[in-house]
Amino acid sequence: MKDGNIEQKLQSEARALLEQGRVDYIIGFEVGSLKFTTTPLITNNIADIDRLVINPFIVNNLSVYLTEVKGRVGIVAKGCDSRSIVSLIQDKQVAREDVVILGVPCPGIIDLSKVERLAGKDRDELDDITRNGDRVVITVDGNGREFPATEVLFDNCLGCDFPTPKEYDVLLDVSSPLVSDKAASQEKLDKLKGMAPEPRWQFWASEFDRCVLCYACRNVCPACFCQRCFVEESEPQWILPVPRWQDSLMFQVVRNIHVAGRCTDCGECERACPVNIPLRSLTREMYDLVDELFHYQAGMDKEAPPLLAAYEATDAEDFIR
Amino acid sequence: MPRTSSGKKVTNKTVNKKDIAQLLNQWRQEFAVLVPSLATGVARLASWDGTDTSFMDWYRNTVIPPKANLLPPVEEMFSFHKDGEGYHIELPPSDGHQQLIFGIRPCDAKALAILDMTFKDIYEDPYYLSKRSNTILVGLGCTNPYDSCFCTSLGSSPTDSTDVDLMLTDIGARFLVEEITDKGKELMANISLAEEATEADEARAQAAREAAYNKVTRQLDTTDIGQKLLVNFDNQDYWEKIAAKCISCGICTFFCPTCYCFDINDELVKNRGERFRSWDSCAFPLYTKMPMENPRLEKWRRVRQKVCHKYEFYPIDFKVVACTGCGRCIRLCPVNWDITQALANLPAKVRA
Repeated sequence: MKDGNIEQKLQSEARALLEQGRVDYIIGFEVGSLKFTTTPLITNNIADIDRLVINPFIVNNLSVYLTEVKGRVGIVAKGCDSRSIVSLIQDKQVAREDVVILGVPCPGIIDLSKVERLAGKDRDELDDITRNGDRVVITVDGNGREFPATEVLFDNCLGCDFPTPKEYDVLLDVSSPLVSDKAASQEKLDKLKGMAPEPRWQFWASEFDRCVLCYACRNVCPACFCQRCFVEESEPQWILPVPRWQDSLMFQVVRNIHVAGRCTDCGECERACPVNIPLRSLTREMYDLVDELFHYQAGMDKEAPPLLAAYEATDAEDFIR
Repeated sequence: MPRTSSGKKVTNKTVNKKDIAQLLNQWRQEFAVLVPSLATGVARLASWDGTDTSFMDWYRNTVIPPKANLLPPVEEMFSFHKDGEGYHIELPPSDGHQQLIFGIRPCDAKALAILDMTFKDIYEDPYYLSKRSNTILVGLGCTNPYDSCFCTSLGSSPTDSTDVDLMLTDIGARFLVEEITDKGKELMANISLAEEATEADEARAQAAREAAYNKVTRQLDTTDIGQKLLVNFDNQDYWEKIAAKCISCGICTFFCPTCYCFDINDELVKNRGERFRSWDSCAFPLYTKMPMENPRLEKWRRVRQKVCHKYEFYPIDFKVVACTGCGRCIRLCPVNWDITQALANLPAKVRA
């Protein structure tokens, strides 16, 4: 289905939800204020519904707003986002009956930083980026160059196993063919895993040396739903909230443990990071460990107890030393 | 031909781009030279390595604003220890070296002038001011502003030389060099590789200034903006709507070249410790929690604070908008929260 058709379907569904009073708010995407961007649209106004869009740039995991927006909500969700919603339901942060999931079968989202690298130009200097199935055409100064989509999709999209929401109320399209490249998706992570502990430690020390503790990684993350984060506790003070690499790394490690079994590899933490710290290399590793040790994937079953709140006698424990 | 404020004719100079490394090396005899750098994995002003001039190729503003070089993300204020005689306080070794920031953009130089007002106000901040007085600014005009830039809406331009000591404008193979302050004049005093600018150089510079100005497409009408914010202060509906998608992270404030809020923390180990100050943000729910409570618990109040501080309160205190239109808050925001939209959509009048 073309984006235009899926947009029409989304708009008519969203309009009906508001008109019939089935939801109080719609959370979706509208065109952003910068080229090739979208921005979250949170509205209770039917007149805003025409602004809803679906395109290859719908980056945000909108479920982050669910714990904040009051009342019943109709929400646009890609595969990973819908899993985050299910995870929030499992954690009793959101009630299933309060959410109408407008599911988007996701063909993968375009990573503008990859496009910029390929084009050798910044986002705002590009004329056009067009996705056609497994190809993407980037137009610079009037000249279009075609690339395999696998070269411009986000790493987490290339490794995605569930691009189509499993939990939804309305599915806005038929599933699109999966464009994946597992090797590319794992490339950064594999490189790190191949390193000896000492250089790997040095790598992270130098990465976290850039961290300014803006907490964007935490605040875009739907799994980080704590009302009050441990870094903000002052009695006792778990870590010193000053951006030195040791403190910043400690914050990220604890955050990673807290979202284990909740992280759906949506990739938002890494995308949001203003200083390019490859955070997904940490979260994806945790995601894989959770799968390996507990055979658990976040947000797949709304009836299942949350991983960290459940115990079974057969649980792996050989990692406890 | 440009004139000084006294009306005397001045002759600008030019420097060949190929000679920039040589120029910087000459300055490096006297100053710690900082240049736009990607060496740490993010664009910022960092110590020059003596050879790399690749910053001239990317030609766009840094991600981390130069305020970080004067008000670092984290800074030790003093250390202390306790013994039988009581507490002893020790200041960090004073870093009296002169630094030269090469390639600062007009918006960021203006931002430092704005920060000066706060740090020189009722209380003089020695940490900031000592670094500031030891800093020389060599400005580099923008040739390729971002689509998020809006400096021209705030009385500036991509080639504005107001707040730097020395200003460079790209005129092709060479830079036009304008000595703006006495410090700038001194910088060029013994530079033999500089040549006198010709009429043609001046004409090229003027064309470059106009071209850069016209490339700034984002516009914000700031007419009566403080008044509009004043009448909308209690317009909760508006602020709630504007704030809805904000995720309360610190990006727009931390990366803002004029935001200066900081938090203070002590690190104690047994009978000794250090006091640090580090960037804080009014976007955080726990802002000002240490001395009291955060009076802005709801998100819309925090978003309102950020906007009003820049466009309403700072102009009342210091007669200048605390925003230079650098656009970082727009291009770095993970949810594309856009201050120009928030201001442009302010209702002119609010129903009583």
